[in-house]
Amino acid sequence: MKSLLRQHRYALAVTLRRLAAAPISSLTNLLVIALALSLPLLGASLLVSMQPVARQVSVTPELTVFLKIDAPKTAAEQVATRIRKEHVEQVAGVRIVTKDRALTELRSNPAWEQALKVLPSNPLPDAIVVSLTPGEQLAERADKLAQVWRKWPGVDLVQLDTAWVQRLEALLRFGRIGLLLLALSVALVVLATVFNTVRMQALSQREEIGVARLVGATESFVRRPFLYLGSVTCSLAALIGIGIARLALIPLNEALASLARSYDTEFALSLPPTEMLAIAVAAVAVLGALSARWSVQRNTKF
Amino acid sequence: MIEFQHVYKSYGQGRPILANLTFKVSAGEFVYVAGPSGAGKSTLLKLIGGLEPPSRGSIQVHGHRLDQLSSRARPYLRRAVGVILQDTHLLYDRSAIDNVLLPLAVTGLAPGLARSRARAALEKVGLSSKENTRPIELSGGEQQRLAIARAIVNRPAILIADEPTASLDIDTARKIMAVFKDFNRVGVTTIIASHDDTLMAEYATRAFKIEPGKFADSAHEQAHTYSKGGVQPQEQQTQARSGRSEHLR
Repeated sequence: MKSLLRQHRYALAVTLRRLAAAPISSLTNLLVIALALSLPLLGASLLVSMQPVARQVSVTPELTVFLKIDAPKTAAEQVATRIRKEHVEQVAGVRIVTKDRALTELRSNPAWEQALKVLPSNPLPDAIVVSLTPGEQLAERADKLAQVWRKWPGVDLVQLDTAWVQRLEALLRFGRIGLLLLALSVALVVLATVFNTVRMQALSQREEIGVARLVGATESFVRRPFLYLGSVTCSLAALIGIGIARLALIPLNEALASLARSYDTEFALSLPPTEMLAIAVAAVAVLGALSARWSVQRNTKF
Repeated sequence: MIEFQHVYKSYGQGRPILANLTFKVSAGEFVYVAGPSGAGKSTLLKLIGGLEPPSRGSIQVHGHRLDQLSSRARPYLRRAVGVILQDTHLLYDRSAIDNVLLPLAVTGLAPGLARSRARAALEKVGLSSKENTRPIELSGGEQQRLAIARAIVNRPAILIADEPTASLDIDTARKIMAVFKDFNRVGVTTIIASHDDTLMAEYATRAFKIEPGKFADSAHEQAHTYSKGGVQPQEQQTQARSGRSEHLR
């Protein structure tokens, strides 16, 4: 066990010596990986910061209940009362739009004025506009209410206005997928960079590898420094990437603050929580080690 | 210690470099491998060191059948065989002592103990004053001695060397051979390939002569020629009395 630990310590020392032996090349690799990693970090910052904002967005989801064209004049009031009574917890407000008022509003629109003049009578039905209370799963709730109300007597159509929910959800989904794709692209960049770095190192250390094998080194002994190289490079790059993202957030937040002030609110981007960052660093280190293993297996067969 | 049974070695589809080689080397022998360039001396040493696999036949070294040894077990056998190749394969980007420390790092020896053993090895080959010198700053003879120090630091049971005195002046060559002889005296089986018959005759106790198409073992035919100045194992003496020679290819 002690012997194995000593071999690991030796491998780590060899790795650091190799990194220090080519400082410019090592720094360039670190910066390339760090810059690549800072992009999904900034994306994650945006998503993490947007989530509470999305929850705070004040929206009044509405459903419009259209009555049958031949429904009596009292029908709208009866349906509105029933809605208020049976769904008091889910309904924030109920407003009746009579067919006469709707026609008046439509006539005020010059585009419709001429068309409405030729009609013999009012073609519009009475309508009830229902505002729902905000909360979780709005789209689902609105859909269920619409299904119930459609079955009520006198009701012709219930128009479900969930476009805003769909748009918001689509936006967030787009953000998540975009971030995932960005993270995958960055993972590929990391893989390629580490693979190439290890390949170059393996080629330049050909003599040392040959001598190590000559004196009885196992393949694990030969490969271990390269795995450390991938892992150490990626860990350092991830830490630098976090630093870069943190620095980039300073001017971004200044610009956002003045924008938010114009809307009389406050908003700032912040990096994901420390635990998430620690997991990300560990994941990148593992990715680096895996890439190095792949590279060293391919490039030390001599 | 070392046993070859009908060993063939060829590269690719070409004619075998070594064919139907059968011999035994006992522990503590000092064997000189002679022959012209291209006869297969280096190949023979590489086969003994497990650096090349045989094309056919069986090789037993230090109790292990090389042809049956898994690739995972091979490095552990290599630690029992100190190898000095024609090109010393020293690492020029580090000091002499760091070169000698490499085989000990491979075994995971404690750093303090490793350093003291590396110093002892350097002292044994007369390089204790050069431990922090890089190999590039050493003379040819010193580089050879450094390669020997690296080969013996793990206390191998077998030491093989390919032309260790080539391109060295006679005094330096004698010093190098004296180092090998010292190790042989303490029981290390030593096998050296060389062109220098006169020098080898002073140290070796047995000789293999490889020529294209022919392999001769002094233990069977001409042991008297190379029996000066060395301990001759019992098995070798018995074999020498049999007066048998082997012709190959």
